[in-house]
Amino acid sequence: MFNALKDIWTVFSIEVRRVFGDPTVLLIFFLAPIIYPLLFCAIYHNENVEDMPIAIVDEQPCDVSKRFIHKLDATPELSVAYRCNTLGEAQRLLEDHQVRSIFLFPHDFSTRVAENRTGRIVVFSDMSSFYYYKAALTGGNAVLIDEMHTIELQRYEQAGMTNEEASIQMQPVVMENTTLYNPSGGYGSFFLPILLVLVIHQTLFLGICILAGEAVESRRYLQLIPHHLRRNSVYRLILGRALCYLLLYVPLTIFCFWFVPRWFHLPQLGNLYTLLIFALPLLLAVIFFAMTVANLLVRQKISPMLCFVFLSLVLFMLTGMVWPQQSLPRFWYYFSYIFPSTPAVQGFVKLASMGAPLSEVRHEYLTLWIQAGSYFVLSTLITFAKNYLRQRRNILIHRLRQARNA
Amino acid sequence: MDTNITRVLRRELLRIRQHSRYLILMSLGFIFVFVFFATMTHNGQPTKLPVAVVDMDGSYLSRRLCHEINATQGVEVAAVYNNHNEARRAMQRGQIFAFYEFPSGTYNDLLQFRSPHFVLYVNSAYMLAGTLSYKQLATMGMLATGAVQREVYRKKGFNDDQIMGLIQPVEYDTRTIGNPWINYGNYLMTTLIPAVLAFIIVMHTIYIIARERQQKSLRRWLASAKYNPYAALIGKLLPYTAWYLLLGLLANLIMFGPMGFPLKGSWLLMVLNTILLVTAAQSVGGFIASCIPDAPLSMSVGAIYSAVSFSLSGFSFPVDSMPRIFTAVSWIYPIRHYYLNFCDIAIFGNAMEHCWPRFMTLIAFALLLFVGAPFLTWQLKISKQKATA
Repeated sequence: MFNALKDIWTVFSIEVRRVFGDPTVLLIFFLAPIIYPLLFCAIYHNENVEDMPIAIVDEQPCDVSKRFIHKLDATPELSVAYRCNTLGEAQRLLEDHQVRSIFLFPHDFSTRVAENRTGRIVVFSDMSSFYYYKAALTGGNAVLIDEMHTIELQRYEQAGMTNEEASIQMQPVVMENTTLYNPSGGYGSFFLPILLVLVIHQTLFLGICILAGEAVESRRYLQLIPHHLRRNSVYRLILGRALCYLLLYVPLTIFCFWFVPRWFHLPQLGNLYTLLIFALPLLLAVIFFAMTVANLLVRQKISPMLCFVFLSLVLFMLTGMVWPQQSLPRFWYYFSYIFPSTPAVQGFVKLASMGAPLSEVRHEYLTLWIQAGSYFVLSTLITFAKNYLRQRRNILIHRLRQARNA
Repeated sequence: MDTNITRVLRRELLRIRQHSRYLILMSLGFIFVFVFFATMTHNGQPTKLPVAVVDMDGSYLSRRLCHEINATQGVEVAAVYNNHNEARRAMQRGQIFAFYEFPSGTYNDLLQFRSPHFVLYVNSAYMLAGTLSYKQLATMGMLATGAVQREVYRKKGFNDDQIMGLIQPVEYDTRTIGNPWINYGNYLMTTLIPAVLAFIIVMHTIYIIARERQQKSLRRWLASAKYNPYAALIGKLLPYTAWYLLLGLLANLIMFGPMGFPLKGSWLLMVLNTILLVTAAQSVGGFIASCIPDAPLSMSVGAIYSAVSFSLSGFSFPVDSMPRIFTAVSWIYPIRHYYLNFCDIAIFGNAMEHCWPRFMTLIAFALLLFVGAPFLTWQLKISKQKATA
């Protein structure tokens, strides 16, 4: 037992020296997890599109359309930038990106409204970003609902109803909407919690792969390890290195999971203690996953950056925060559980943004422990097998040389 | 033909034949991402999103609404709960994205004109799923109340046209330009796929130049171009230009062809756009690799630069709504200009007079390679100094 601890300590101290001796690894381990959260929080500081320029085409102005246009301009989402006489004029503005949406009040709008029929407003929306569409929809609907009530009330009065009767008939059912966990529906509050977990996941993963690649390239690493570790006690090697990464990443995790959301007013319902308990299997799963991949695939110091960074996008989509897990094709759903990022993001968002207690994320929490356990066993087996093969090869070479000399 | 460029080109083709591993890997990576997004979004929108109903009323009305919700493509009633807490917990576990709550006595209130309250709870931590299930459920709710209103008015003797005028005095007719079916695959893939390609190209270009340095063959490479760094870079990158151009054009061909994403403008301009994106990305990679003489460092700089490209292309969240400074920063990403061109060409069908300033910008990006080229000679000099020291 004492021997095991001593070995783990030796490996641990060697690994700490390697991390701090390599500027690339330092860049990935320390600079990236600090810079990226701050940078992305700044990028998505404005949560929604505000005062999006729109063009108005009012072919036959009337009281209702004038009031309607006035209200559109007053919404936080929209601002009336141009009033055009013809649709063609407005469409040219749309093509020139001067406006992102057109509200067309056709020539029969006023007569239809005057005849107590349904007046139709045509909305053209630029689909180059869904946020333009969303702004037109949100701002437009707010005005529509408001204006419907005003017009309805007038019509009921014309039909000879009292105010009270009218208001009941207008709203036979009152619908209330309650938006939970991201009340403004902002992009930042949705995207940044996911990003925080992915940044931890990707930098840790990449750093470990780079260190492994460096070890293969320089062929120094094995010489630094006590000789007896190379045979039967490979697990001490794995544990010692994992301990090093784990301790380095605890402060970074607290920074990303606790301080950044507070500074930038992201949805925060979780508490530090729960987050840390959740972060333990998260970090272990990522570390052992990275070691498994590194042991299997990485041969160079610089190739991990070439091969793995652009796959962050795939991991992002696999988390099920954009395309919900329930709608993912079955194959991709199971595939997503190869990566610790999936349960990590799901769990973190539920804990931090939605204020779930740890018991509600049992599924994600257990998944992370299972991943941590399996990847630990896998990486140990792979290291053991590689060492075994290398020894066999060395022995063979040795024998061949002896045979040749003899 | 035996010019500086052709000699480097021949040398590079030989190198690719001997070490084709990373070119194959990167191409497979690109194809994987393409297939991934294509299979994931083939429905256009997520379907059968699980939602729930908290039915404290247990009446005919709530059961009918459940049936109607199940009849839609977008959402599906996954569970019916008896109280609010159970539903909220299911929402926290991510099992449902929205739920309706019918308080007890809803149906009686409705029959007696006492305006009962329905409450619709939506989880918007899941952006897409929350928004879509909200849209579907709010519409269902509107229809349900509309149906009740209609019955009442019919009994009062109004005709259908009058009733519509009373229930819905104003309505929108929405036309979504460039994506008529509001297809998320169309929206995501048309920009993400070229963005991934640009990312791969930047990193791979840095890699192949950094690799020369690591293998200490920088001198041999430059010598094959008679120490002309411009020829050395062009000859080295040309095979990759051809290969990545092929991948990029093929991807666009599949997207605008069999996958049916709309392309309103000229396909020739789209081809030109892709060509300029590929060369611009290569040039950025070549510039970074020439200026930074340390292989791992140049790779990290490339990765750090490229990782922000998806956000600053502006296709997910518009750049004009970000803080002002990022409008300027987004200029350093070729994919930003590609995306703006794509909007002009594919969505609005605009021609050259709209796109040319950005085509010029992309050409300027391509010229960046030649700005970086003299640094290669400098790198050779310092590596020699290191060797003698």
